[in-house]
Amino acid sequence: MSINIRAGLLSLVVVTALVGCGKKEAAPPAAETAATPAAAAPVSTEEKVVNVYNWSDYIDPAMLEAFTKETGIKVNYDVFDSNEVLETKLLAGNTGYDVVVPSASFMERQIKAGVFRKLDRSKLTNWGNLDPEVLQRVALHDPGNEHAVNHMWGTDGIGYNEGKIKAIDPNAPVDSWQIVLDPKWAAKFKDCGISVLDAPSEMVGIALAYLGKDPNSQNEADLKAAEDLLLKIRPYIRMIHSSNYIDALANGELCLAVGWSGDVLQARDRAAEAGQGNVIKYSVPKEGTIIWFDMYAIPADAKRPDNAHAFINFMMRPEVAAKNSDFINYANGNIASFPLISETVRNDPGIYPPAEVKAKLFPDLAETPEFTRLLNRTWTRFTTGE
Amino acid sequence: MNQGRNLFRTLVLILGFAFLYIPIVSLIVYSFNSSRLVTVWGGFSTKWYGALLHNDQILNAAFLSLKIAAISATLAVVLGTLAGLVLARFGPFKGRTLLSGLTTAPLVMPEVITGLSLLLLFVTMEQIIGWPAGRGMTTIVISHITLTMAFVTVVVQSRLSQMDDSLEEAAMDLGARPHKVFFLITLPIIAPALMSGWLLAFTLSLDDLVITSFVAGPGSSTLPMVIFSKVRLGVSPDINALATILVAIVAVGVAITGIMMARQQQQRERDAQMALAANQQMIESVKKG
Repeated sequence: MSINIRAGLLSLVVVTALVGCGKKEAAPPAAETAATPAAAAPVSTEEKVVNVYNWSDYIDPAMLEAFTKETGIKVNYDVFDSNEVLETKLLAGNTGYDVVVPSASFMERQIKAGVFRKLDRSKLTNWGNLDPEVLQRVALHDPGNEHAVNHMWGTDGIGYNEGKIKAIDPNAPVDSWQIVLDPKWAAKFKDCGISVLDAPSEMVGIALAYLGKDPNSQNEADLKAAEDLLLKIRPYIRMIHSSNYIDALANGELCLAVGWSGDVLQARDRAAEAGQGNVIKYSVPKEGTIIWFDMYAIPADAKRPDNAHAFINFMMRPEVAAKNSDFINYANGNIASFPLISETVRNDPGIYPPAEVKAKLFPDLAETPEFTRLLNRTWTRFTTGE
Repeated sequence: MNQGRNLFRTLVLILGFAFLYIPIVSLIVYSFNSSRLVTVWGGFSTKWYGALLHNDQILNAAFLSLKIAAISATLAVVLGTLAGLVLARFGPFKGRTLLSGLTTAPLVMPEVITGLSLLLLFVTMEQIIGWPAGRGMTTIVISHITLTMAFVTVVVQSRLSQMDDSLEEAAMDLGARPHKVFFLITLPIIAPALMSGWLLAFTLSLDDLVITSFVAGPGSSTLPMVIFSKVRLGVSPDINALATILVAIVAVGVAITGIMMARQQQQRERDAQMALAANQQMIESVKKG
């Protein structure tokens, strides 16, 4: 036992000595490993496993099975519950994952931190299936599309309870941010329940777009204008949360929510299933809104980059991408898959918005650390209502 | 007046129980709900229990969580007992403040900090000594021990400080060696504290999300991680079915421990009475003689 204690003490000392320099040391080995596998032989010698880190249920399980059946590569599918957790692990290094799925606005910063490996296009033979428009939009986050392939994308918009809104005012502008951001309208729906996303950069971006300014502006005066606008509607907001509104919208507790397309459509389906007469609709406001992307990327220190490429390439097949879109009712960035997607998904303007709406979509670009600090302060003032 | 007070007491009792148990009862009731919406009643059905049987992801995660909870609770009890014993019995030794500070730090430290620092520690250790190779069940177990040991230590330490020292002294007077005293006298007396410490550690480990998501690696998604990740695309009611089963298992476990503890208590009282009676007899026989 005394040996154990001594070993324990020793490791304790080692630990305290190491924690300080841990972060700095994490980077160089990552860069080394990134360089070597380029020389790998065409036939992969990797163990037949690929570790995928993604949201739960974000890929049709049948597609994972199909991949294993065809390639013999076993998929370990692990799940995270926020982009922040994923980011922390990526920055700490040595995640052990071969494929990760961050959102583009997070990925933009992560690319700058050098946590991803550049994709080997020669192994991604299905690259031609990708939607050029999506590629172009993603390139704003990932210049030259060097590090990531789009899995799914969607928009920020307004989810509303049609019956309740129309009962209060049949002329309510459900196709405009006015309904939430104009105090006159917001006041009307206060008792019915309004919710907004707990996502500072997205909400400020939306406020700026409504004010006719650049939604990605990092100008302090613009931020102030957005803050003033948000503070004016604060008294009418019941909920500031990024997922609770799904059920609340579906069961009629809320009648208006600024939310993500997939979530609102999920609320719509649940409401229909519950059969309580709540009809939930999704609208993309005419002033324009945020388009977001969830991306496949390979960590720089991934141990099985060949398998990772094989996995991403498999997901880029038109029939696979179509099955995934049908499974979760999200739009994918694979143009070749479009005709194969079921009509209910393909023709849903909430999922695949029409061209004139698409033209007004804008990205949520990463901010500088300084601006992020200002943004967080604004957001704290908004959430606390002061 | 007395009646009024009784009424008040009953009321407080009912309110207290309602506050504690209504959420659990409603969860159990809704696990038999046929509607997909968690908050809307759509008729009685056991279909989610059927769905649960086919949901490998959830079942694997639940099994992994139970395994981690059992291992880390057991090890936390061993380590926590040692720490508690040292803190309660060994008087003021050099480094005592440091030890008590270190063991109880996870109690007050925000989980995000614990999780992040453990993650950095594991990454650095892997780079320098090659262990632990990657993150997974091992790292989760280590982290959970770190967290739950603190609770066990506090429970054991307070039980030990309430315990009558003279019992241990008497045993040593009668020639028992320290380790024998520990295993035959101290341990049985603090056993209830160990048991509640184990259960506490088990539950803490079972529902920990923050630390776990930091230190988890490939192939080690625990149940809370899966449930919270499902928020993105919708939590399905088979989670309620699983929670009901877990509540049932825990309830049975707690009931068994309760019965065992009660029996032990009775046994101890009987022993004490017998000892007292024997003592009495001896005194009387001495008087007579």
